Parts: sequence; structure tokens; C-alpha cells
Amino acid sequence: MSTERQEQFAIETMALTKMYRDKAAVKNVTLKVREGEIYGFIGRNGAGKSTALKMVSGLASPTEGEIRLFGKPVSDPAVRRRLGVLIEAAGLYPNMTARQNAVMKAKCMGLADERSVDTVLKVTGLADTGRKKVKHFSMGMKQRLGVALALLGNPDLLLMDEPINGLDPEGIRELRQLILELHAEGKTILISSHILGELSKIATSYGIIKDGELIEQISREELEEKCQDYFRIEVQDVQRALVMIQETFPDVQAEVSDARSIRLYGVRDGSEVNQMLIENRVSVYESGFHHMDLEEYFLERMGKEGGC
Amino acid sequence: MFNLLSMDLYRVKRSKSVYVCFLLLAAATVLVYGIMWLLETPQGQEIALRIGLLVPQELTEAESILDGIDSLGFFRQICLDGGMYNVVFGIWVMLFICADFQSGFIKNIMALHQNRWNYIGSKIMTAWIVDGCYLVLHLLFALLMNRLFDDLTPYAGWKDILFYLSWVWFVTAAFAALIILICVLTRSVEAGSLAAVLLGGGPVVMVLYRVLNMFHLGDWLKYSIYLTCAMGPQKYTSVKNLYVYVVGFGFLILYTLIAGIVLKKKDI
Repeated sequence: MSTERQEQFAIETMALTKMYRDKAAVKNVTLKVREGEIYGFIGRNGAGKSTALKMVSGLASPTEGEIRLFGKPVSDPAVRRRLGVLIEAAGLYPNMTARQNAVMKAKCMGLADERSVDTVLKVTGLADTGRKKVKHFSMGMKQRLGVALALLGNPDLLLMDEPINGLDPEGIRELRQLILELHAEGKTILISSHILGELSKIATSYGIIKDGELIEQISREELEEKCQDYFRIEVQDVQRALVMIQETFPDVQAEVSDARSIRLYGVRDGSEVNQMLIENRVSVYESGFHHMDLEEYFLERMGKEGGC
Repeated sequence: MFNLLSMDLYRVKRSKSVYVCFLLLAAATVLVYGIMWLLETPQGQEIALRIGLLVPQELTEAESILDGIDSLGFFRQICLDGGMYNVVFGIWVMLFICADFQSGFIKNIMALHQNRWNYIGSKIMTAWIVDGCYLVLHLLFALLMNRLFDDLTPYAGWKDILFYLSWVWFVTAAFAALIILICVLTRSVEAGSLAAVLLGGGPVVMVLYRVLNMFHLGDWLKYSIYLTCAMGPQKYTSVKNLYVYVVGFGFLILYTLIAGIVLKKKDI
């Protein structure tokens, strides 16, 4: 992927705000998603993820702020054709077949050639559903059909709100594979999900939203750096232990994580720390190296922002 | 908008409701023709007397029910004058619109079509097309029934039929626009059904008529959709008869505009 492409934004929001009466569902969100990224949009229930995605996809109008897709206003019909959307549950007519639903979407887009319908059904593994009506589909099949509809017209940007919901492990694996294939084709994908472990397998950058505010945007590399290994010790007297560690190991960064434990960054040999503390009669209950994953990082960020 | 119209017509062809609603209209027509045949024809009266539907004293009265009524007049009595057509057609329109919101397919549409007028325009045109098909096919069916039931009524002239169908098409399309407005406003099957029955069947207009009449304003309601359908001219006799087009077109534009504004204001 060229550097030039990396610098172009598929999605840019400027001070995006959505008010419902006096309550702000989304506050001053400035989101930037580069072309070619898989952007993981993370937040608790009610944090404002779906509202933000609805505004980007044109389903809700912002109270304030601006949205640009590929550098153009979101209202531009040409730019809307480059967008595929799967927001919340897949919107499907229950009394129609998978193909009929896809043909409906194709007609809505003005696609004359129905071969694209067959292609997306094949890609999502729904080509053989025949005359089975959508109301008889499993949750996973409905989600896959929602993805198929979003893929119609070969969009450059896909917005997926909780696409993994309701999928079984095999369905999740298949969807992950599909997303990675679409990414390899150069598509930009924004996914919101609660399943952070799954998201961390595919996302190339992340945005964390809390109470309607975007509290952090971070690339995978930056996240890995922040989630570096640390040595965690659980001690009887945190204050005493902290002073001793800082005196003995001046290069080590120490962080008190709760009343009994300390995180130490930059420690190479944990036994040296343990030995020093024991020699100075500080009881060590537990110690060991840890690597923070996305979930831990997310929870920590949520805590730091004062919500937990 | 034409992409959406193509999509809507594709759905109309595949939806059961459009056929079920027409069957209801056809069944009601068969029923009314059957009853009239029993009351009006000698063979029918014989059966009616035997099954106790009539007593001999009522025979003369029954024979005069259809006096002075031609096939078009009988069609409008069955179909439009009592509001049956608007109730059935209104329910179909409600089902068609609410399905978009209930299924969530509206998200697929609106993510592509930022201009909400495209959506309203497509729905109005679809309803208008279905309305035209319903009116023509229903009239043809009624004429067929007339033929099958021993030509109960004399046939109306084609000019009268054309005049009547053309203005009714406008006025019933305006009623469809009203139902579309209620559906985009409430997004509720219950509210849409209630509106189709109460507005199409006449109770709301009749109550309003009584209230307004207390202030000597009741006559204005003859320009309502319900009373225009019930009392509009069957034949073209003077330019004054053309007011029905103004009523139809006026309400069609009014309700379409309000529906468009409501849809623009509300998030999906």
C-alpha cells in the first residue's frame, strides 16, 4: 500500500455531534479513517457507536459537524455509491429469498446486471439457499446476507456495526476471512464490535468512544507499543515497595495499578526485583510478566477516563 | 427515483398482500352481485323466498333497489361510495410502506438515497400504479359479474367510465399519499391500519361533518377525500364537475409534501 494512499482519508468527521433533546449521543467526534484500513470502533453499549455510524451512512443527520467520505461531502450521491452499510441487524424482507433481497438492493442501486447479485451471494456462501425465505434463515445466515447486500456494487468503504453478533464460531471465522480478503482487495472497512479479541485479529487501527466522545484513535503499532510487556508484583506494602524499586532500579517505570499491585515497565529480570524486595522485608504475594491485550487496554482506558 | 420505483414494482409483483387485497375487493363484489341477483331476478327471488331471505310483501320493494342504476353506478356503490375500496387499498399501502421500516430494509435504501424525496416519490408512483390496476381490474371484474348475473344493470357508456375512473384515480392516489404520510410519521402497522379504516371508511369525516355543521361549516367537507369519492360526479355534465381533479391533485401534492418533510426531519 502506497504512503500516498495512506494519507487519504476514507472517512473524516469534524466535530460531529448528535443531540437527542438535551442529551448528546455523540459529542464533538473527529474521526479519521485512512483508505485501506480496517478500523475497529470500540465502545460500550450506548457509547454512541451506532449513532456515529448512522450519521456517517446518512441514516441520521448530525446536529453539528461535518462528514466527508473520500474527501467529498457525505451527501454527494457519487460518494454514497462507494459505501456499503450493515448497521445493527441486517435489513431484509422476511418473505423474500436471499436472491430476491439482493436483487431488490441491486435495483435500488440501479445495477442492471444481476450477475453481481450472484457474485456476492457466492462470496458470502448463500448461493445455494434457493427458494428458502429469509424468515427461515438462521441468525448467522441473515448476517451474511446483510454483508452480501453491503458488498453489492463493489463498494470501496464498508461500515459494519456489530457484524459478528449472532454468528457461531465457524461463521465468525468465515466472516473474518472475508473481511481480510476484502481488505487485501484494498477496501476500507470500519467495524464496530464488542468482541475485542476478534477485532484485534483484523483491525489495523482503533477508535475508542466513551459517552459519545472519541477518547483515543490509535494504530495497531501504537497499541502494541502501549501494550508492551510489564512485570506485575503484588505486595503487602505498595508505598514502601515503590520507593525501594525507584531507588534500586532508576530506569524502570513503575505504575501503581491498585492498592496491592504495581506494574513495572522495562524490567528484564523479574527475580532481581523479587529478591531485592524480600531482602528488604517486603512480602511479595505474587509476581510475573504480563502482556496487555486489546480488551485489557480498552478496560484500562475506560477506567482512566473515570467511568468504571 | 426510477431505480427505487423499479425496486418497488419488483416487490409489488412478489408480495402476497397485493393479490389478497384484490381478492377481498373481488369477493365483496361477488357477494353484492349475488345478493342483488337474489333480490332482483325471478329465479333469485324464488330462492330468496325459499330460504327466508325475503317475505312476499317485500318483493316489490326489492325489485326497485337497482332502478335507475347503471353498471358504473352499481360499481361505485359497491366499491367507493361506502369507503370499502379506500379501506382495502389503504391497508395495502400501509403494509407496503411499513414493511420497509419493520424489516429494516429502509436502511439499505436510505444509505444510498440521501434525497428522501426519491423515496416518497417512488412510493407515491407505486401506489398510483397499483391503484390504477386495482380500479381498472375491479371495474372489469364487476362488469363480468354483471354479465354472469343476468345483466342486472344496464351498461354505462365508455366516456362516463373514463371520466369517473380518471378522477377517482387521482382522489384515491391522494388517499394513498395520506396513508404514506401516516406510515412515515408513525412507522406503525397499528396506526396505519387504524388510519386506513377510520379515514377510508368515513367515521372520522362523518364525526367532523357533524361538528362542523354546528357552525354551518359542514359543506366544506364535501371537498374531503371520503366525501368526494362518495358524492363526486359519475358523468361529466359541466365544468363544475372538474372540481374533483382539483381535490385529488391538491390533496396528493399536500400529503406528498408533508410526507417528504416528515421523512427528511426524522432519522432512520
